[in-house]
Amino acid sequence: MRHSQHSCDKAQALAYRYLDGEIVWFHRIRVSRHLRRCAPCEHGYHFEEWLKQRVHDGCHEEIPTPVYERLRAVLRELPLRDDPPG
Amino acid sequence: MADAARFEDDVTPLLPQLYSAALRLTRNASDAEDLLQETLLRAFRGYGGFKAGTNLRAWLYRILTNTFINSYRRQARQPAEVELGELEDMYLYRRLGEQSGSARSAEDQALERFVDEDVKAAVESLPENFRIPVLLADVEGFSYKEIAKIMGVPIGTVMSRLHRGRKALEKALWEFSERRGTVGSSA
Repeated sequence: MRHSQHSCDKAQALAYRYLDGEIVWFHRIRVSRHLRRCAPCEHGYHFEEWLKQRVHDGCHEEIPTPVYERLRAVLRELPLRDDPPG
Repeated sequence: MADAARFEDDVTPLLPQLYSAALRLTRNASDAEDLLQETLLRAFRGYGGFKAGTNLRAWLYRILTNTFINSYRRQARQPAEVELGELEDMYLYRRLGEQSGSARSAEDQALERFVDEDVKAAVESLPENFRIPVLLADVEGFSYKEIAKIMGVPIGTVMSRLHRGRKALEKALWEFSERRGTVGSSA
């Protein structure tokens, strides 16, 4: 064993921030080193990355054409029904 | 009227993604359209104060989010702040691992079977104060700093809500999929 349960817990707690690219450099280095040595954590990170992409793709919603056209009409009419900005 | 024309040119390309976000917030198509109309009106009124060259997209999402919180939460009678219980890290990965035993690929195979409806339902099941940062980060791709600005909260609050919101999302996804029978004992 080259790593402890504590380092696994730490790495798992930092997964979101690491995958978001929002982690300070010294944590990033520690996590990267841990992942190279710990296959279960590395696989868990891959899973979280995939899940993030899955949520992104699954929440995508096409705007229906009539709604899009109505909103474009709202945009065009804004200057008529409201004071111009500025 | 040059500003009005510029406003229209700037905002039109963002309508599809704004609609998608509005739908995840309000959870129904007609409220989403109303929310977006109100957002456009408020944005237009505030456009004079918007500094050209700064982040228009983040600025619009801030108006969208605030309009939603101020107008629709009251209608939906949702509590402003809901707390979530503590969940373990990598919740879904662990559940799938328990189910599949030792096969490493089982989790990935199960994930492929999650349908979009489950993903949407899981996101929509989150309390608003957690759903908003999860949407802004995972769906819209905003940075923590941008989310903090959009929501008007400190960056530490964004991190904490995102962390707990995502874990709750994993739990909800597991429960929806289990109910559907795509994962779990009946799969």
